[in-house]
Amino acid sequence: MLDAERLEILTESAKYDVSCSSSGSKRVNENRGLGNGSVGGICHSFTPDGRCISLLKILMSNDCVYDCEYCPNRRSADVPRASITPDEICELVINFYKRNYIEGLFLSSAVFGSPDRTMELLCETVIKLRKLYNFNGYIHLKGIPHADEALVFKAARIVDRMSYNVELPSEKWLKLLAPQKTKQSLLLPMKGLRDAIVYDKENKVRRGRVLPAGQTTQMIIGASPETDGQILKLTQSLYRNMGLRRVYYSSYVPVVQSRKLPAVGAGLLREHRLYQADWLLRFYGFDVEEILDENENLSPEYDPKCAWALRNMQLFPVEINTAPLAALLRVPGIGAKSAYKIIEARKFCKLDFDNLAKLRIVLKRAKHFITCKGKFYGSESVETVKTSLLLAGRSEVSEQMSMFSDNSVAISALTGEI
Amino acid sequence: MKIFICDGTPDCFFTAAFDAWKERDCVITSQNDVQLTLGCEVIRVEYDEEKSERVKRGILKYDREGVNDAEIALRSCDPLKEQVVFEYIRELFKQKSPIKKAYNLPQVIDFNDILYKITGETHRIKGLLRFMESASGIFYAPYSPDNNITDLLMPHFAERFKAERFVIHDLKRKIAGMYDGHDWIMGYAGEAEVYLSEYEKAFETLWKKYYDAVNIASRPHEKQMKKSMPVRYWKFLPEKRD
Repeated sequence: MLDAERLEILTESAKYDVSCSSSGSKRVNENRGLGNGSVGGICHSFTPDGRCISLLKILMSNDCVYDCEYCPNRRSADVPRASITPDEICELVINFYKRNYIEGLFLSSAVFGSPDRTMELLCETVIKLRKLYNFNGYIHLKGIPHADEALVFKAARIVDRMSYNVELPSEKWLKLLAPQKTKQSLLLPMKGLRDAIVYDKENKVRRGRVLPAGQTTQMIIGASPETDGQILKLTQSLYRNMGLRRVYYSSYVPVVQSRKLPAVGAGLLREHRLYQADWLLRFYGFDVEEILDENENLSPEYDPKCAWALRNMQLFPVEINTAPLAALLRVPGIGAKSAYKIIEARKFCKLDFDNLAKLRIVLKRAKHFITCKGKFYGSESVETVKTSLLLAGRSEVSEQMSMFSDNSVAISALTGEI
Repeated sequence: MKIFICDGTPDCFFTAAFDAWKERDCVITSQNDVQLTLGCEVIRVEYDEEKSERVKRGILKYDREGVNDAEIALRSCDPLKEQVVFEYIRELFKQKSPIKKAYNLPQVIDFNDILYKITGETHRIKGLLRFMESASGIFYAPYSPDNNITDLLMPHFAERFKAERFVIHDLKRKIAGMYDGHDWIMGYAGEAEVYLSEYEKAFETLWKKYYDAVNIASRPHEKQMKKSMPVRYWKFLPEKRD
């Protein structure tokens, strides 16, 4: 059995990977096995940093041949090294799962030996877990750059989700900070998997579909000088061209001393604003060009939707009882859930401000941008609106997004997919 | 004013709804310590199959999910739940079509609030329930939820742990759901004495170790943690118990 010491080393090494979601897979429990998928995802615990634990996030080994500047496990770092065998991982997953500690496994690894050797062992682990241990729970597998394509596709038929991390928002800085990884070694497998997913979908493959929960990626924010505009443009193209389910941002934490890296972290507010903009791209029908220019950063004072609305005051106010869904979604302060609620409720009667309050729609921002039955309760002058939006935002700055903390099934049903 | 007191089962509630239908001003409740005011009349409702079925048929005529929704809402810990469901049903009969999304009506808002709390807790507990392995290989999960949701959880875990045997024990209501590897049943369960398997302690320790290691200590955000995982659930979580 795995000892606590190695578990600690391999968890410490894996924890900066942001992705924890277990959503998107409807995998059924076959052959009286153990586990199944839950489309909305399930959180099993929460750590004092406010993040959820859904999957057992662990590295197979942290003994890396690569020397990425920002990584605590890079070859030149002086840290304790450890590794874990496929059987030990399986035993741990099965026993944690049976106690309902976790929703599945998020397996990643440092590159030991060669990329092929690493991918081979990762592959062996997930196949063992599915075939030998009859495990049907969620598996998220990290792709190893430069590994043989055949191995990648073999794994993709077994697991629910895979991710190749683009690591940095530009090729230039990828070269500087992660010299052994190339843009192509990350994007080519991503493309190949996208094509396989599209093929399965078009041919209505039912059993053994490739990656039912799709692909995700992650990039580090603040370790390199790219603007938010560049980051979001890349994000949008990853969604549109690669069909990714999610792009995660990881605010840079200086765990490593290096001359090539900034000495201070990027801070949570920037990460928060980027996620807000990411939500606008995915659920609110925005194009990145509407949110900001390529050489711009997001405003720290206003959330991106407010900032957009302030630049486009000529479009407001909109009438709650007649505005189409797309227009409601663009009102600051009205989220996707509230917009859908309004659409349903107004089929029964005309809504006034009282009704909106009863629907628990927060009006402190929205009131400046809407009318109800023709009535307007906001401020006429743009300056006053700005001040009151600033005040409304102040209490929420540094609060982490908690959209999925509870009842995530309801939200994923509303928004189509997570 | 008439006060209809039922025994807490859905069937008895539907019977009470039948009896109370014509009353202008009345209360349906399952609380025995109800406050009596001057001039009110207390009626103890006995289950009557015909009355109960008639109400259910009536609901189904207008909303195919109405009975199911009502039965879920009646699991709430809210002392006013019977009254809220009753007013919702009355409104449904008035409107003669599904009203679940008529968010402008106060009856619907109250009803949905109750429903949301129950489905929310059910979803949350699907993550927060913790099993321990007993010496005989049966997995045992004690908990004490706000609402009566054990039988809503059973299908989820029975599907997931198809070949296992397990017990989910609601300590507050002294009931338990039991699954034998094929079917599940609900039953009374007072106190349970569980002898743990020899591996239990080891995996619990590993889990605690994992929980501590995966936290990023330089980014504390306890408020968020407590919001997502309220303190009242902690006593059943090994990672939070001590």
